[in-house]
Amino acid sequence: MIQFSKAFLPIFLLALAFSACDPTSHWDPTTDERPLGAYDTGILIMNEGAFGANDGEVTHLNPSTGTLTLSVFEKANGRPFAGLLEDLVLEEDRLYLVANTGKVEVVQPGDFKSIGAIEKDLDQPRSVAIARGKLFISDYGPYDANYNTPSSYVAVVQGLDGGVVKKKIPVSSKPEDLYAFGSYVFVAASEGKKVEVLDANAELPFKTLDMPGQPVQFFELNGDLWVFCYDALKVYFVSISKSGLSQKEIRSFPIAQATGRIAKGDADTFYVLTSSGWPDYQDGISVVSVGTGALVSDWKKGSGFYGIGYDSDRQQVYLANAKGFQGNGEVVVYQQSGAEITKLTVGRGPSGFLFR
Amino acid sequence: MTFALWCVVVLPFASPQDTVALAEVAVHAAALDRFAAGQTLLTYEKSTLARYAARPLGDLLQETSPIFVRQYGAGMLASPSFRGTSPGHTALFWNGVPINSISLGQSDLSILPIQGTDRVEVQFGSAGALFGNEAIGGSVHLSTAPTKKEGLQGAFSQTIGSFGLNQTALTAAYGNPNLRFQSKVYNQDQPNTFRYRDISRAGAPWERQSHAAFKQRGVLQDVWWQANPHAQVKTSFWWNQAQREIQPLIGSSTQDTQADKSIRAVIDYQYQKKSSLWKLKGAWVADQLHFNEEENQTSQGLLGLDWELPSAGNWAIRAGTRGTWLNTKLSAYTAIEQRWEAYQSLGWQKGDHISVSINLRQLAYPNELVPFLPGLGLDWRLFENDRTSIQLKTAFGLGLKLPTLNDRYWEPGGNPNLRPEKSQNGELGFQLKRKGTFSWSQRLTYYQMQVDDWILWLPKGALWTPENIREVHNQGLEYQGESSWTTGHWNWQTNISYTYSSTRDLGQEESQQLPYSPKHQGNAGLQVKRDDFALDLSGFYVGQRSIASGDSRILEGFALGNLGISYSGTKWKSLQMPLRFQVLNVFNQSYQVLYLRAMPGRSYQLNLTLTL
Repeated sequence: MIQFSKAFLPIFLLALAFSACDPTSHWDPTTDERPLGAYDTGILIMNEGAFGANDGEVTHLNPSTGTLTLSVFEKANGRPFAGLLEDLVLEEDRLYLVANTGKVEVVQPGDFKSIGAIEKDLDQPRSVAIARGKLFISDYGPYDANYNTPSSYVAVVQGLDGGVVKKKIPVSSKPEDLYAFGSYVFVAASEGKKVEVLDANAELPFKTLDMPGQPVQFFELNGDLWVFCYDALKVYFVSISKSGLSQKEIRSFPIAQATGRIAKGDADTFYVLTSSGWPDYQDGISVVSVGTGALVSDWKKGSGFYGIGYDSDRQQVYLANAKGFQGNGEVVVYQQSGAEITKLTVGRGPSGFLFR
Repeated sequence: MTFALWCVVVLPFASPQDTVALAEVAVHAAALDRFAAGQTLLTYEKSTLARYAARPLGDLLQETSPIFVRQYGAGMLASPSFRGTSPGHTALFWNGVPINSISLGQSDLSILPIQGTDRVEVQFGSAGALFGNEAIGGSVHLSTAPTKKEGLQGAFSQTIGSFGLNQTALTAAYGNPNLRFQSKVYNQDQPNTFRYRDISRAGAPWERQSHAAFKQRGVLQDVWWQANPHAQVKTSFWWNQAQREIQPLIGSSTQDTQADKSIRAVIDYQYQKKSSLWKLKGAWVADQLHFNEEENQTSQGLLGLDWELPSAGNWAIRAGTRGTWLNTKLSAYTAIEQRWEAYQSLGWQKGDHISVSINLRQLAYPNELVPFLPGLGLDWRLFENDRTSIQLKTAFGLGLKLPTLNDRYWEPGGNPNLRPEKSQNGELGFQLKRKGTFSWSQRLTYYQMQVDDWILWLPKGALWTPENIREVHNQGLEYQGESSWTTGHWNWQTNISYTYSSTRDLGQEESQQLPYSPKHQGNAGLQVKRDDFALDLSGFYVGQRSIASGDSRILEGFALGNLGISYSGTKWKSLQMPLRFQVLNVFNQSYQVLYLRAMPGRSYQLNLTLTL
């Protein structure tokens, strides 16, 4: 026995060392305090990638040093993301990378090591939320012959680390952002102009709220749930009672040709990305204060604007430019005053930010 | 001057008594045969095409020429890129008729089966004066010709292979001195259930490719008729149908399908009076494309008249005019357009030593003249003795590509104000040849090209719209070497080719290679033959290439090897039964030509042909 131990001790120690480095090992957030990883701080920049190339990725920026790390997912996992990155959601100490090409990758937020994935039975996933220990994934569903999406749904996955889709809850067309509260999941069904409330326990639709425009993004403001909606002429901020599951208040602003891309600034300030589209193509950023009703139109003007974010720690605005999806994109960092701080070259199709 | 000669062309026909006997010439290839001095040309005859019998044109060009073929998967879209230009910068002709899609402005080489052609010629560099629209990077010329053998002939060919490949082809031909027929029917079924590494998943597990099935069938008919000693008629008809499940990118599971149907018909009438040759060409091409539930139809009619003096002392002269009528009915738009062209060519030759070509062309669409296109070429044999010759080849030419109908009319986003893309190309090369027991030839060509007003589709908010945005400068070297010798009963042949291609987007601050433009490319082959046995080994290399501007992601280069063994000794009476076995991707390389597009590993093909 002693001889056996001596003979196998180095192997045992080696195995122990390897198991400590096991890329698949994962901290249990309910019991462990984990050390801070390289990507637990700084700014994660979503790179949607180009249609037909599916080269979506994540760029990390250390704003203190200005250091950029491109293709974070591939560096951490030794394989390409292989999808168009639609959303990046941090919940329950897991980072969900949603590819609208049909999968959701789950990684550790600190080092981007893969935990799992949902790879089957999704069509065009848009976002995720967690409720009652389950993962809810909004999905446009398949296109029909006329490129409409009449079969949109929210997919339910039992575990938080990936797995299989156990159920699809039909919702109005083109669901975008999700918001979980208690046993309810709020769904911003953009084309249907509805917020649908799902019962997370029963995994069934529970209630539907009509919206004045296309709802796309939820946020919390002064303890209330709000949803940002837009149509061709205006944008709307609609507050929803979480307890009563009803619409409380609508505040509208005359911002025409808004897109679904906004960033919440300080207090009740929002940066809204607008685009006139073809043929007079001009993009812009308008700034609104939901509380005071103040509106600054065309805070910035230009072309190629594709995403916006706000670093509340440094009070800086991040504006992404896709540069025609021909190659790397660009992020310009501004002070609140509009003064340019710096320009960064990032991966293809920068579309959003996650500030850690 | 162009228009002066154009006026000559439309002079009425002379009376029959002025006529002389017509030499038997191909009725469509005058431009390549007589007015392409200085051009870099590659020709594939039947013997080479037979080795690729069950494979698409794209494979032939990728494996044996300096062209980079962008393959979106096995049997999927394959489009050629010459000298760093885009797929739309290649003119493609079948029996002298342009067959690029008039809506997309490019062709899919996967649905051009080798079975549908008897000869392939490839020309490199801008030659708008010779070939008109789209000949910026180069041009590909497919042609069919009924056999010159007299009597009844037939062939049945059956190929089976890996991943469910099953191809059957039937050829019947008849010939007498005045009349020749050729009919071909082919059917190909390729489920494409190959294994590939799913690099999007942890551990890159092996997966079986699904949703990549490819089916194709077609009918081809040629008739050649010597109507009288002075007049020839040739008609060709080609119907081709392909159905494809579009292979999803690695990591996604799209379920798109595409069905393509094409009908191409051409009639050439050739009439000689005295030393003048008159050529009348009429053609009709109709394409139908179903993408999922979406249906797109395009058609074009073409009418052309050429006048030629094939041999007037040291001179050869050609002048002609052509009208094209385009009609599209797409889900996004409908459009009708007419185009007119007038062109002329002058050739001057002194013995076998010097040959000069001057080509000129003026094109108008719909009612607008586009820049005049000249081209100049020179072949000059600098040295020659019994065994060795050195030839200088040089050419300069302009090219252009009209904005495609999609570019201008697509709703929404089409841009009616686009200018044509324009190119200038110059090249200089030397060809050394040596004859003897060990014969060889070597050719080295240096080229420079600039393409202006290159059209790109760019996002404008939620919409994409095309713009004349890119200025590109390309330069490179093309080397081709061949040798042949005999040792006892063994006949040996080798070929080797290397291409260096530098492509620079002048709009970029840093010097960066254009996306999907490999700097280095090469191929090599060895054929050994003894009696009825033949062995061929070939390999090709495609260097690394970026998938987007700015080298944001690099795809590593790949090298593949193929092997083929043929035996043609099995005969029964007049029935010959050649047998051929091929191994493709011998070393089972896992590779992608385009990012995330899986390609098959090692595969096998067995072909038996019965020839009567």
